[in-house]
Amino acid sequence: MNRHHLNSLAAALAIAAPLAASAQTAPIRVGVVTPLSGTYAGIGQQVKWGLDLAAAQINAAGGVMGRKLELVYEDEEANPAVATQKAEKLFQVGKVDFLTGTVNSGSTLAVGQVAERNNRLIATTVSFADSITADKCSPNVFRVNARAGMQSAALADWMASTQKNANVFYLGPDYEMGRSTVAAFKAAAEGKGAKTAGEVFAPLDNKDYSPYFGQIRGARPTVIYTSVAGNDTVRLFTQMAEFGVNRNVQVVGASGTVTSQNLGAIGKAADGFVTGVGYSSSIDSQENRKFVADFEAANKSKPDLYGADSYGVLFFYKAAVEKAKSTDTDKLREAMRGLQWATPQGNKTMRAGDHQAMQDMYAVKVEGGQFRIVGKVAAEAAIGPDACTRF
Amino acid sequence: MLDWLQFVLAPQVVNGLSIGVAVVLMALGLTIIFGLLDVINMAHGEFYAIGAYAALALIGVGLPFWWALALTPLLMAAVGYATERALIQRVFHSKDRHTLTLLLTFGIAIVLEDILKIVFGANPLRIEQPITGATEMFGLFFPNYRLFLMAVGAVVIAAVWLVVFRTRLGAMVRAAAFDRHMAASLGVPVSVVYAGTFAFGVALAGLSGVLLAPIYSVFPTMGRDFVLIAFSVVIIGGMGSIKGAVIAGLLLTQVQSISSLVISPVWSDPLLFGIMVLVLMWRPHGLFGRLGHG
Repeated sequence: MNRHHLNSLAAALAIAAPLAASAQTAPIRVGVVTPLSGTYAGIGQQVKWGLDLAAAQINAAGGVMGRKLELVYEDEEANPAVATQKAEKLFQVGKVDFLTGTVNSGSTLAVGQVAERNNRLIATTVSFADSITADKCSPNVFRVNARAGMQSAALADWMASTQKNANVFYLGPDYEMGRSTVAAFKAAAEGKGAKTAGEVFAPLDNKDYSPYFGQIRGARPTVIYTSVAGNDTVRLFTQMAEFGVNRNVQVVGASGTVTSQNLGAIGKAADGFVTGVGYSSSIDSQENRKFVADFEAANKSKPDLYGADSYGVLFFYKAAVEKAKSTDTDKLREAMRGLQWATPQGNKTMRAGDHQAMQDMYAVKVEGGQFRIVGKVAAEAAIGPDACTRF
Repeated sequence: MLDWLQFVLAPQVVNGLSIGVAVVLMALGLTIIFGLLDVINMAHGEFYAIGAYAALALIGVGLPFWWALALTPLLMAAVGYATERALIQRVFHSKDRHTLTLLLTFGIAIVLEDILKIVFGANPLRIEQPITGATEMFGLFFPNYRLFLMAVGAVVIAAVWLVVFRTRLGAMVRAAAFDRHMAASLGVPVSVVYAGTFAFGVALAGLSGVLLAPIYSVFPTMGRDFVLIAFSVVIIGGMGSIKGAVIAGLLLTQVQSISSLVISPVWSDPLLFGIMVLVLMWRPHGLFGRLGHG
């Protein structure tokens, strides 16, 4: 071999070397399809804050297997049709390795199908609908947050522990979400020995709830459960206080009933309200205190459950990639099944049978405009049976 | 049975009455504008919302609720006057008045709703109730603010009726509605009367906004809340009839309120519109005649 050839070989090596290295050090791309505008923009904001904070911390500590995480955002406008287009774009053009961020349960289910077609994995950090990890489960979809059934379980457990023989009146908005939340909580409550005093379904965007108060009073409940949301909650709570319907009655509800968006308008009338959730910024642990402090320093706002679970999902992904030593879909799926990882609200375990995260659940009570933890249910007691039959 | 009358039916009737007063307040402005100007004001609900937000802003700068209650209708009258002069006058005299004013006010409604969203945000806000507590009468428990609302409603209805039917101003308004050419030739400043009447209707919508905000909360799309039932009330009562609006408003809300005891609340709207269809089949012009014609 003459000098000329040697030179060209060396030159080729010099060019090839950085290329080979870059496959090992190029960033891992994580797609985020989340509502940055529209009705759910407030939730999308928390999702983004949580993810940005987690990515910054992971990258500062050396990344995932030496590779940095890079987040690629797309606005889904809380619309499943838009979400599928944006997810398709991220998988096909954006070449993302993993996808998260969907809020609306319809979007999560639709994007799950896109993920199956593209042979990638997604995780939701927000969607509550039980079906996502039950009858509509997908081998490509994971859920790191608590589902509706777990929230009901935590609330029913707290109710049973504070009231023997609770007599519950149910008031829901008359559409799919309202009817399914009432049915789910009723099942959980009756399982714990509570009686049903009556139920009424009011139209969505109902103006005045006082026509139902006679019926509620007549049923003499000790507990009123409601799953109304948004403006409807403001009106219902204001009017209940006005008529004194909530005197000597415990008001409980779905986790979306009282949120930071309507708490201000409800004011004092929200005091005493109890709900079941998977996260509260008042969880008293060293990990959570540090997380809340970091989150507030970065965003000038407290994390809610969406912010906390979106923060946690990147640590879930990191743990899975490091366990699989790969970003390959099949290897990663195996690694994620049964995986245990650390989050601000404690360790979570991904149940292999239905891809639903198991976690401790809390009952929280509104006091002076703040949520305070009043009860806790262990992960195993809250999760409920595995109803996924696809894998 | 007596228990049922006292603890279930009676509160329901009184509740229905307080909602009825709210509906009548909304319907009054609508029917007056229609009766005189022959304009279907699709933006009536948004003027109601602006009234509530105006009160919220006035209270926000430190004024007590009662000042906001007094100032908002004046403010809204100015807004109404300006709207009539600047926009509605332009299309009022064309041949397609009905279609054009309907489209125009519908457009105004959409724009106003978005402006509220941009200025005040999409989240609900609330005005604290200026009168708290409740009164117990005959074993009936009723919030004081709603009692106040019913009293104010009765006063407003009586005042409107007095102004329209018992004053010189009212006579001019009715004359302009009945025959504007004749009224003009007798020296009635018809265009000022038109703008003034529109302003009066808008002021009534604003007043309802302030009065109802402590009960129903304040948010950008609140204008859609009462406007549908107010329109039905105006149609059933007779387009333009004040008496019709009051009677139909109280009657319909009673039907809704009492029926919700026996049928699912979701059916109360179909019931309302069913009654509307039946009334229109029986009396195409509604129960009572038009303003200026009665």
